[in-house]
Amino acid sequence: MIQRRRWVRWLLVLAVLHGIVACAGFFAPYDPAEQDRERPYAPPMRIHWIDTKGNFNFRPFSYEQQLRAGSFDQFEERTDQIIPMIFMPEGARYHLFGLLPSHTHFFGGKTSRIYLLGSDAYGRDQLSRILYGGQISILAGLLGAGLTLAIGMLIGATAGYYGGWRDGLLMRVAELFVALPWLYLLFALRAFLPLSVSPLQAFFLIIVVIGAVGWARPARLVRGVVLSAKERDYVRAARGFGAADGYLLRRHILPETANVILTQAAILVPQFVLAEMTLSFLGLGVPEPVPSWGSLLASLQQYSVLVSYWWMYLPALAVVPFFLGYLGLASALQDNVGTGKIERTTSEGRW
Amino acid sequence: MVSTARLSTFGKLLACSLLLAAACAPSESAYGFPPQASSAEELLTLPGEIGKQGGRLVVALRAEPKTLNPLTAADAPSREVILGAMQADLVHINRATQLTEPALAKSWKVSPDGLQYTLKLRKGLRFSDGQPFEADDILFTIRACLDEKTNATQRDQLIVGGKPISVRKVDAETVVFQLAKPYGAGERLFDGLAILPRHLLEKTYVERKLAQAWTLATAANQWAGLGPFRLKEYVAGQKLVLERNPYYWKKDAKGNRLPYLDELVFLFVPNADAQVLRFQSGETQLISRLSAENFSALSRQQGGYSMSDAGPGLEYNFLFFNLSEPGEKTSPDLARKMKWFRDVKFRQAISAAIDRDAIVRLVYQGRGAALWGPVTPGNLRWGDSAIPHTARSLEKARALLKEAGYTVAAGANGEPALVDSGQKPVEFSILVSSTNADRTKMATLIQDDLKQLGIRAQIVPMEFRSLLDRVTQTRQYEACVLGLVSFDADPTAEMNVWLSSGGTHLWNPSQAHPATIWETEIDKLMEQQLGAANYQQRKKAFDHVQEILSDNQPMIFLASPNILVGAKNSVGNFHPAVLEPYVLWNVEQLYFKDSPGNARQ
Amino acid sequence: MRYFLRRLTQAAFLLVGVSILTFLFSTLAPGNYFDEMRLNPQISPETAAALRAQYQLDRPLQVRYARWVNSLAHGELGFSFANNSPVAPLLWVRARNTLLLTLTATLISWALALTLGIWSAATLGRLPDRALSWATAALLVIPDLVLALGLLILAVRSGWFPAGGMSSVGIESFSPVQKFRDVAWHMALPVSALVLSAFPILVRHVRGAVAEVLEAPFLRAAASYGIRRRTLLYKYALRAAANPLISLFGFSVGALLSGSLLVEAVMSWPGLGPLLLEAILARDLYVVIGGVLCSTVFLVAGNFLADTLMYWADPRIRTGAPAK
Repeated sequence: MIQRRRWVRWLLVLAVLHGIVACAGFFAPYDPAEQDRERPYAPPMRIHWIDTKGNFNFRPFSYEQQLRAGSFDQFEERTDQIIPMIFMPEGARYHLFGLLPSHTHFFGGKTSRIYLLGSDAYGRDQLSRILYGGQISILAGLLGAGLTLAIGMLIGATAGYYGGWRDGLLMRVAELFVALPWLYLLFALRAFLPLSVSPLQAFFLIIVVIGAVGWARPARLVRGVVLSAKERDYVRAARGFGAADGYLLRRHILPETANVILTQAAILVPQFVLAEMTLSFLGLGVPEPVPSWGSLLASLQQYSVLVSYWWMYLPALAVVPFFLGYLGLASALQDNVGTGKIERTTSEGRW
Repeated sequence: MVSTARLSTFGKLLACSLLLAAACAPSESAYGFPPQASSAEELLTLPGEIGKQGGRLVVALRAEPKTLNPLTAADAPSREVILGAMQADLVHINRATQLTEPALAKSWKVSPDGLQYTLKLRKGLRFSDGQPFEADDILFTIRACLDEKTNATQRDQLIVGGKPISVRKVDAETVVFQLAKPYGAGERLFDGLAILPRHLLEKTYVERKLAQAWTLATAANQWAGLGPFRLKEYVAGQKLVLERNPYYWKKDAKGNRLPYLDELVFLFVPNADAQVLRFQSGETQLISRLSAENFSALSRQQGGYSMSDAGPGLEYNFLFFNLSEPGEKTSPDLARKMKWFRDVKFRQAISAAIDRDAIVRLVYQGRGAALWGPVTPGNLRWGDSAIPHTARSLEKARALLKEAGYTVAAGANGEPALVDSGQKPVEFSILVSSTNADRTKMATLIQDDLKQLGIRAQIVPMEFRSLLDRVTQTRQYEACVLGLVSFDADPTAEMNVWLSSGGTHLWNPSQAHPATIWETEIDKLMEQQLGAANYQQRKKAFDHVQEILSDNQPMIFLASPNILVGAKNSVGNFHPAVLEPYVLWNVEQLYFKDSPGNARQ
Repeated sequence: MRYFLRRLTQAAFLLVGVSILTFLFSTLAPGNYFDEMRLNPQISPETAAALRAQYQLDRPLQVRYARWVNSLAHGELGFSFANNSPVAPLLWVRARNTLLLTLTATLISWALALTLGIWSAATLGRLPDRALSWATAALLVIPDLVLALGLLILAVRSGWFPAGGMSSVGIESFSPVQKFRDVAWHMALPVSALVLSAFPILVRHVRGAVAEVLEAPFLRAAASYGIRRRTLLYKYALRAAANPLISLFGFSVGALLSGSLLVEAVMSWPGLGPLLLEAILARDLYVVIGGVLCSTVFLVAGNFLADTLMYWADPRIRTGAPAK
C-alpha cells in the first residue's frame, strides 16, 4: 500500500517537471535564439518590489543593466531605468507542443528584456534556453532509453528463452558492443550524412545510434530474469500442457521482466541525458542555435566562465530535479520487489 | 656536391686550435660557468638588456611534439620546440621587426641577376656536443632536405621556380646558393631551415632512415643542434627538458655567452584552461596564446604576473563558399546553390551584412581587429590602406541582393525569407570545426546576421579532418568558416593560398587552369611578386592582389585575434611578438630577475 | 578445464572481432591523419600524398589489417603517425599511469563501499542508513564532468593540491620518499574524483545484497548462538551476499583501463584516456586500435576473474545446482 503510493508520488513529480519543459514556449519569456549583442554574459537581474525611493510596488520590477564604460564584461545596474514585469504578455511566436501557434508567454519585461537567469555569450536569455534545452535533452533521453530497452528486451528474451547456441552468440555479440569505440562511429556518421539533413535531424540520428548501441546491459538483465522465470514451476506446468512459446513469453515470462524494464528505464533516461551532454562536450551535439542542456553546460569547460560567470552553472541545477525524480522512481520501484534482487538487477556500474 | 675531402690548411689549423682550446677549457657542468668564448669564435652580439645567469623556465605546450627532426616536423608544437629553442638557421627573421638579420651566416650578397646568394658563415662555431660547425653541414642539410625519399615537409620551401635550389661550398666559410629564378622574398628563404649535424646524421641518411631519426625518445648524446638549448630528457606524456647549450654562438653586449637560462622545460598540458591553472599556481612562468576570456580572468587577479596584449597577430578568419565546378557527384541541390555562390553580388551582399564589430566584441572581447583583407594590422609591411573598410549595412546588402535578382517573400513560419529568381528559398549550411569554439561563435553570429536578410543558414559542426576532406577533396560542401595563419608576414609564404593551382586555394583548390578572369589576374600578380627585384615592386603587385580579393570576395574576411600572453614578473627581457613563437622567439635573452640559479616553482 | 579453454577461445574471438570492427569504423569517416597538412600553405599536396603512401594509408583495408597483425606478432602494435613511434611503448607507459590511478581508486572505493554498505544494511531504516542514502543520491546525480571540474577549482582556489599532472617539474632530483609523496599528492584529486563517482553505486549494491542476506534464517540462528555482531556481519553475511558483488567486482576490474577517461582528461593526468582521445581526434589509427584492444583485454580478464571467483566462492555453482 505505502509502497504503491511512493512511486506514484515520484511519477507525479516527474510529470510536473516534464510538463513545464513541454510547455517551454509558454514559460520561457523569450525566443532562445534571439541575440542581444549589447549584453553578452549579463548577470541575472534582481527582482525588486521596493524602489530607490522606498515605495512599495505591487508589480515587481528590475533595473536595466548595461556595460560599464570601457569594459567588455563588467555590468552595472542603472537605477534610473526601471523595467516593470508584466504577466501574460504577447511575445515571440512559438508552437505549443509543436502544433498550436501562440504568442502568449508567462511573463516578460515591459520596456526591455528581463534576464532572470542572466545571458550567455551572445546575449541570449538563459532561462528561455534552459527551458527549451530541456525539451531536446529529455527527448534525447527518452528516445535513447526507449530504443535501448526495446532492443535489449528483444535480444535478452531471445537469448534467455531459447538458450543454447543463440544464447552464447548473442551474449558474445553483447560483449563486442560494450568493447567497441563508438566515438569513431559517431564521427563517421556526422561526416557521412548529406548536408541537406538538418542538424537537428542529424542529432537525433546520433541519439538513435547510441540507443542502438547500449542494449548490451539491459539485454543481460532481461536474459537473467527470463532464465529464472523459465524454470518456474507454473511455466513448466503450462508448457507441459502444451502451451506454445509465444503464449508462454507473452503471458508469463515477459510480465516478469516488467519490473526490470521499468527500473532500467528509470536509470537509463538520466544516463542518456548525460550521454547527450557528453556529445556536446565533444562538439557533436545539437548545433546552434538550438539549445540543449549539454551545449549550455559545455561553456563551463572554459576556466574563465567557471571563474567569472556563475550563472552559467544553473543548467546543471536544472538537471538535478529530473535526475532526483528518476532516481526516486527507480528506488521506489525497486523497493516494490525487495532490496536484494533489485540491486542485482540494476545497472552494474557507471558509464 | 658534398666534398667530404680535404680540409684546407687553414681548416686544419682551426681544428687544432679548437681542440686545444677545448682541452684547456675548464670542464663545465650543466649549471656552471660557460666556457669562455675563444677568440677563434665569431659570436653574434645581441643588443638589449643584460640579464643574469641561471634559472629554469617552464612553459606549457598544447600537445606533445611529434618529433625532434626538423625535416619531418609539420605540427605546431614540434616546430615551436625545434625552431624556437633547439635549432638555428642561416638567416633569421627577427620576430619583432619582421625583417631578416644575420644568424649562422654573418653576411650575404645577392648577385645582380638575383640567382646567386653568397653567404659568409661565422667562424669557429660548434654544435651543442662540441663538434665544429662547417659548411659541409649545410650541404648535407640541403641534400637531405631535397631528397625525395626523405619526404621532408620543408622540401617545398626550397623549390624556387619549379627547380630545387642547389648549394656549393666555396671555402670553409662561404657557401653559394643557386636558384633557378629570382626570388623576391630573398634571404627569408633560409629562415626556419635548421642546419643538421653531418657527423651524427650522415650515416642514418645513407641508410635511408633519416626520416625516422630523432624521435622524442632519442638519447641526449645522439642529438646535436645549434640552438640555444640542447636535449636533456624526455618523459613521455609529461615534459621535455632542455638544458643550456654551452657552445651557443650568441653573446650579450657585455660579452656573456647566451642563453641566460640553465634549463627550459616544456610541460604538456593539452587543455587551454588547465594551462591557465598551472600558470596561476606558478608551475609555469610564461603563458602564450590565451583566449580573450582567460586573459580577462587572469588580468583581474593578482598573482605576481603581468599580462600583455601584443596586438593583432597574423591569423585571419574568413567565411568562404564552394566556388568549384560542379562535378558528376554533385547533387542538383548543391549545383543550384553553387550558382548563387558564384554570383559576386551575392558574396558582396553577405559581406556587407556581417557585423564584424560584433565578432570582435563577442568572440574576442574587443581584443582583436576586424578584417576586410587577408593582411592583418599586425603585419608591419604588407597592409594595403586602399582597401575600403566598409561598415556593416543591411540596406546595402538588400540592395545588392535585389540587383542580383533575389526577392523577399513570405516564408514558412511567417518570417520573411529570401528567394532566388526561381522562387526557391535561399538557405545553405556553414561547416565549422567542432573543436574550434571561436569559429563556431563567428558562424553563429553570421547565422543571425543572415537571418536579417531572410537567409536561413544552418551551422554544421564537423570533425576537423572530415571537414578538410570535404573542402579540399570531395568538394561536397556549401560554405565554411576557417582560419589561416602563416609563420611569416611575407606573402610568399602563402603562395599556395592565392595561386589558383595551390592546394590551399580553399574556395577552389588545385585548379588546372584558373576558373575566372580575376583568378588569372591574381596568379599573374603572385608570380610577379615572387620574382620581383625589390620591395616596392612586390608591394605594388600584392596590393593589387588584395584589391582584387576585396572586389570579388572569394573569402569574406572576418576578424583577427590579438596575441595575448602573460609572464611572471620575475621573467626579464619579456617582449612578446606577433609572429610565432610568440613568447619564445627571444628565449636566449630571457632571464630571471631574482637570484640566479633558482628555479621558481 | 574445458570451461576455461572455451572461455579463452571466446575471448580470442572477441579480440579479433573488436580489432576488425575498429579498423572498419576508422575507414568510414573520410579523412586521415595527414589531412591536417592540407591546410598548411608551406606543404604541397604532393608531399602530403607521398607521406600517406609512405605509411601505406592508401592501401586497401585488408592489406593494412594484415600488416598490422604481422606487427602484432612482432610485439609492436603498429605505428603511431602522431607520435612518430611504435604504438606498444606508448601504450605501456600510459597504461601504467592509468592503472596507478584506477587501482588505487578501485581499492579505496571497494573498501569504503564494503564498510559503509554493511553498516548501512545493519542499521537499515535508521539514521545512518538514511543519511548514507541521501549522500549517495546526491553524488549519483552530479555528472562526472562537473564533479571533476569542481575538484579542480577547489585545487586552484585553495592551493592545497596541484592543478594537474602526475609529478612536479623537478622530480628527478627528489629522493625516493619525496618522489612517492609528490606523486601521491598529485594523485589525490583524480583518485577522489574517481572514488566519488564510483562508490555510491557500489554502496547501494552492497547494502542491498547484505540487507537481503540479513533477513535469512541462518543468520538469525547464528545470532541467537551469541556470535559477535562483527563476526556475523563480515564473516557470514558478507560471504553469503558475495555473489552479486563478485560480478560487480569483475566489472570494476574490467573498467580499470577505460573508466577514468574523463577524469584524466580534465585533470591532465598522463594516462591512456587522453592519449586515446587525442588519437581519435587526430585519426591516429593504430593507437586507437591498440588502446581499444588493451581495454578489451581488461574487460575480458575482468569477466573471467569474476567467473572464476564465483566458481570458487559459491559452492552452488560448483555442484552444478542452478545458480541464482
